[in-house]
Amino acid sequence: MARMKTQHAADEEALPLRSRRIDKILIYGFLVIIGLAFAAPLINAVQMSVAVGGIGNYWAVLTRTLNGVSIPQTFLNSAIIALMHAGLVCVIGALAAYAFSFIPFRGREPLYYGVLLFLAVPATSILVPVYFISGTLGLFNTHIGVALPEAVLTLPFAVLLLRNRMDDIPRQLVEAAILDRASHIGVFWHVAVPLCRGPLFNLAALSVMWSLQDFLFPSVLLRSPALTTAAQAVQTIRSAFGPTPAESSQYYAALVLLGVPALVIILFAFKYVTSGLSAGGVKE
Amino acid sequence: MTTTETSTLVTRAGERRQRRSPARGVRGRSPFRGGWYVVLFLGPLLLFYGVYFLYSFGILGMVSTERVGLTFRNAVDVGMQNFVLVLEDPTFQRSLINTIVFGLFSVLVALTLGFILAMMLASGVRMRRLFYTVFLLPSLIPMSLFATVFSRMLETRDGAINDGLRNLGLGFLAQDWLGDPTAAYVAIGILLTYTIGLPIMYYTTDVAQVNASIVESATLDGASVWQIYRIMLFPLLRTTHITVILSVILGSFRAFDIIYFSTGGQPGGRTDITGTYIYKATLGLDRVGYAAAASIIVLIIALIISVVQIIVRRKAS
Repeated sequence: MARMKTQHAADEEALPLRSRRIDKILIYGFLVIIGLAFAAPLINAVQMSVAVGGIGNYWAVLTRTLNGVSIPQTFLNSAIIALMHAGLVCVIGALAAYAFSFIPFRGREPLYYGVLLFLAVPATSILVPVYFISGTLGLFNTHIGVALPEAVLTLPFAVLLLRNRMDDIPRQLVEAAILDRASHIGVFWHVAVPLCRGPLFNLAALSVMWSLQDFLFPSVLLRSPALTTAAQAVQTIRSAFGPTPAESSQYYAALVLLGVPALVIILFAFKYVTSGLSAGGVKE
Repeated sequence: MTTTETSTLVTRAGERRQRRSPARGVRGRSPFRGGWYVVLFLGPLLLFYGVYFLYSFGILGMVSTERVGLTFRNAVDVGMQNFVLVLEDPTFQRSLINTIVFGLFSVLVALTLGFILAMMLASGVRMRRLFYTVFLLPSLIPMSLFATVFSRMLETRDGAINDGLRNLGLGFLAQDWLGDPTAAYVAIGILLTYTIGLPIMYYTTDVAQVNASIVESATLDGASVWQIYRIMLFPLLRTTHITVILSVILGSFRAFDIIYFSTGGQPGGRTDITGTYIYKATLGLDRVGYAAAASIIVLIIALIISVVQIIVRRKAS
């Protein structure tokens, strides 16, 4: 199972290169310069957030409502939508991947490639129909109304990732299960799901991250300030801050805070996120 | 689940097999042939696809022939007029060209800077995890946030970038970043450079699979690090380049947040991409039929890229 090996690629041993001193200096120099450039916007945001008013700015924006939006509430909204999204993607994705991997049926491969075809659908191109469908089904201003269109865009990736893993499951295990007279439901639950625990964790971490990144669907579907998500709040709270230096510092403090949920997920689930992405090989 | 129940549900192929080896073989007794299980396992996915993709495309097709707002009421049938208008609109043409140009630029950056950074990280440097995380962070945090902070740094009068240039004595390089078309392109180029985390990750993953002994023998033969990167590893990672190119091009059609939160398509739609164009037509101008026509054109392009990707993938494996 070559795929297992790739999961911890970042921890594996380095290439056996013997570089000269000057090469080493060049390599470190380049990495440090690019590293600083990459960290600069984040460092800049933190600096600006305490430039006028100091660390108290954070407390101020946490306790204030900004255009009717409270930052702790946005964390809760983002978390609810992200978990719904992750749940939908993992359950529906695992069921479908099982069918494609274990149940022989006519037209299976064409259908599978048909499912993968939608890997590339940009969210903006289904904006109009999502708006229409959400109106018809009464999904405006609901968390699930955002999680559903997010999930449909993630599902092709989920099927790809999980089918690849399920195809690696040795068929002898399944034959044994058949002798036990287990049904597909039994094999799915007792063989496929436990053996896919790793990829499912990766997928869940990725789904949470992608949902936290999503601005488009919340901004279109959630109009009530009480339902605003963290990514969406970046825009909605902008006009709540005046042009004074103190207010500007507070705006930066708010921006930094809005990044915290995503940052927490990224740092704590970094390994799951990266191994999920590299196993899938597509999608941004 | 009893055997009699399932045997009525097996597919015809299964029945034929059963008749040939009557209730003796494993397969004959098992429910392991198609039937309603397919519906059970694939049903939820197909329901999702049915509503949010197929039904969606139906709506797009219908709405694209109408003049209508977001209320979807009082629609006026205009036939193919929306498609003609969209295709003739210079801003749409430009947004399409921009999407492709930005995509190609990202590919170029990924294949050069992304590649070299990943190779350097694989060359036994200290604090590798820290560097790796720093390079990946801008691609993983919400783009709405990153691009907002970045565009504040671009403020002409008091932004960090112009301030920094002035402090370095390079004040002549200070620009009206978001007002001047050329400067806005440069700004987007820099911003896109920040999003090469994924290519770095693909390269890092795949370079770890490279056979260490061939690198070792090249080192013993006196090859320098740079030669090994360029002559040995770059061609060796050919399949990774393909993954990188495809994923970056697909990503460029989804770069909505990057543009929306940095230049917002300004000045005057010069830096719009298809995503921001559709968004503005839908929510800004309330020209929904028109936006639907643009969406269909973009979808066709995205699906073509998808087909190419699937073909390439199948060939690779």
